[in-house]
Amino acid sequence: MTNTLTMLEIDRVAKRYGDSLAVADVSFTISKGEFIALMGPSGCGKTTTLRMIAGLDEPTGGEIRLWGRRLNEDAPWKRNAPLVWQNYALFPFLSVRKNIEFGLKQRGMPIRQRREKAFEWMERLGIAAYADRGIDQLSGGQRQRVALARALALEPEMLLLDEPLSALDPHLRVRMQSELVRLHRDLGITFVCVTHSHSEAFAMANRVVLMNEGQVQQIGTPREIHRRAANRFVAEFVGGNNLLSGTAVDAGNGLMRVDGPFGSTLARAPTDRVLQTGAEVTLVIAADCIDMLPARSGTGNEIEARVLTLEFIGSAVTVFLETLGGAELRIQRPLHEIENSPLSPLSPGQTVIARWSEDEGYFLPA
Amino acid sequence: MAFWAIPPILWQFAFFVVPLGFLVAMTFWSVRSFRLTPDMTLANWMFILKAGFFRSAYIYTFKLALLTALIASLSAFPAAYTLAFRLQPRTRRFLIFMLVVPFFTSYPVRIYSTQIFFSPEGIINAMIAPLGLGPVSVLDTPTGTVVGYLVLTLPLVLLLQTFALMNTPRDLIEAAHNLGCGRFRTILTVIVPTARVGLVLAATFAFVLSFGDYVAPLYLGGSNPPTLSILIADQVKSGNNWPRASVVAVTMILTLIVVMTAMLALAYGGRKKGRG
Repeated sequence: MTNTLTMLEIDRVAKRYGDSLAVADVSFTISKGEFIALMGPSGCGKTTTLRMIAGLDEPTGGEIRLWGRRLNEDAPWKRNAPLVWQNYALFPFLSVRKNIEFGLKQRGMPIRQRREKAFEWMERLGIAAYADRGIDQLSGGQRQRVALARALALEPEMLLLDEPLSALDPHLRVRMQSELVRLHRDLGITFVCVTHSHSEAFAMANRVVLMNEGQVQQIGTPREIHRRAANRFVAEFVGGNNLLSGTAVDAGNGLMRVDGPFGSTLARAPTDRVLQTGAEVTLVIAADCIDMLPARSGTGNEIEARVLTLEFIGSAVTVFLETLGGAELRIQRPLHEIENSPLSPLSPGQTVIARWSEDEGYFLPA
Repeated sequence: MAFWAIPPILWQFAFFVVPLGFLVAMTFWSVRSFRLTPDMTLANWMFILKAGFFRSAYIYTFKLALLTALIASLSAFPAAYTLAFRLQPRTRRFLIFMLVVPFFTSYPVRIYSTQIFFSPEGIINAMIAPLGLGPVSVLDTPTGTVVGYLVLTLPLVLLLQTFALMNTPRDLIEAAHNLGCGRFRTILTVIVPTARVGLVLAATFAFVLSFGDYVAPLYLGGSNPPTLSILIADQVKSGNNWPRASVVAVTMILTLIVVMTAMLALAYGGRKKGRG
């Protein structure tokens, strides 16, 4: 399991607080230079996992290994895994410069060197002008940069981020998101980022560890998680999926017929298990995989449906449809496509044909 | 709502500002054949400020109050730290309650009970005698006075320090640990600076209360050497000299004003001021 690139191993780690289990049994590995997102709803154990990596919480079970060496009992101040706090946790009684120098000072770096180093990082993050300001004179975005500089000045091999963007306003959040990605690429160090937002996780991370109720639900690239959710929880959490409940009817040619309130559709039968005829199944089709046509084309799955509502989200549109059988379908298309479609102007009440190919749906374990 | 601010202000005016004005005025009065006579003389000020016994009492009282503030602050800190950071909330609540209990009994009663410990045939001497130690004499010494001051101030200092430390954001402590700062260094680099206002306030209270206390120097210190509060009582008792006693009292009040100002500067000074 351990290869030369495996930097950090989280091996069957658990954390119990009294009667409650914050982290039940979590295992995953992180390679050097990865940008990992720990994602999940609040209370899923993602922050506790991050805190155990930093040494701020001690696991009650399992082992955390860094380059193969057990880390569990190491005091946080013995580790070099600086954390960027959600509320930044900057020292209010120190200036910006002294906040950034703090970690270097603890490591006994002489004053001139640490001034230089602090200045380098302030320049890099564009906060050199505020060097002698107090923390309460900074905006949220500036504080975020100070927190980043304070952590990165230690030149760690791993940076931990706890909901780094959630305290920023939406406009700044998007900018900081790409800035974090750029920093990660330029520095080549490992980033471990906790977030509850799948859009943040998918936008930044190479790999996502999706957690719920103290357990890992799925590990994979954003694309893998988006296109092939491992279970119902994942499919619902990442959003943009249609979950259709139906009955397996018959399989042939590798395709399986599923009947439900949406009508009758074909989907590629799972290769990892055999579905019995008559079994209750959940079929997942991503909202961006469904097309809307004015009339049947005779290919793929085609279901007649009525437009319920339209939601504009910037350059994309979410369309909610109701099939004749009463099932709800959600479709996401680029705005320009909707505008240039023969269906335009699309409006509630209109009847359309929803179409997707047999390859695009997949079955979830019951 | 503003109307209800008036009663306490009136109260303070009637029972603090007016008597204080009276006290200051009295320092210029004179005493003729044990009778208080309104006057405009500086004789009382000249007499007291030039008197050797006043100067030594002043220095002695100041030193003892300072020593008490220092001992109380330093000895309370580990306990306050434990209360604030190391205990379960339930245990902490119980112990904080226990710290308030001393205030249930009046202070002189607590001083009397302290005498039982420290008297020549008291509990402490009885306990160390079998070990071939003692007898130690604490009663009627400066040590006795400081013990009394600590009886008065330690529970308060401990409470104030605990509350100050409890307000330290846990994030900041963890951030220090995360940046390589060990547990002990974190106390000096993060916890003390964060709780500075409360810690200075606790020490100031210890100083102020000790500086003006009359009970401890009388019953445990044996009035020897006298503190300023003993001096005030002496001036009144021997010769009914209220004006001279007032001079001592006014110098004490002025001293406390200066000390408070200095301590507030220490508590709030040097901070990076926010623009709001």
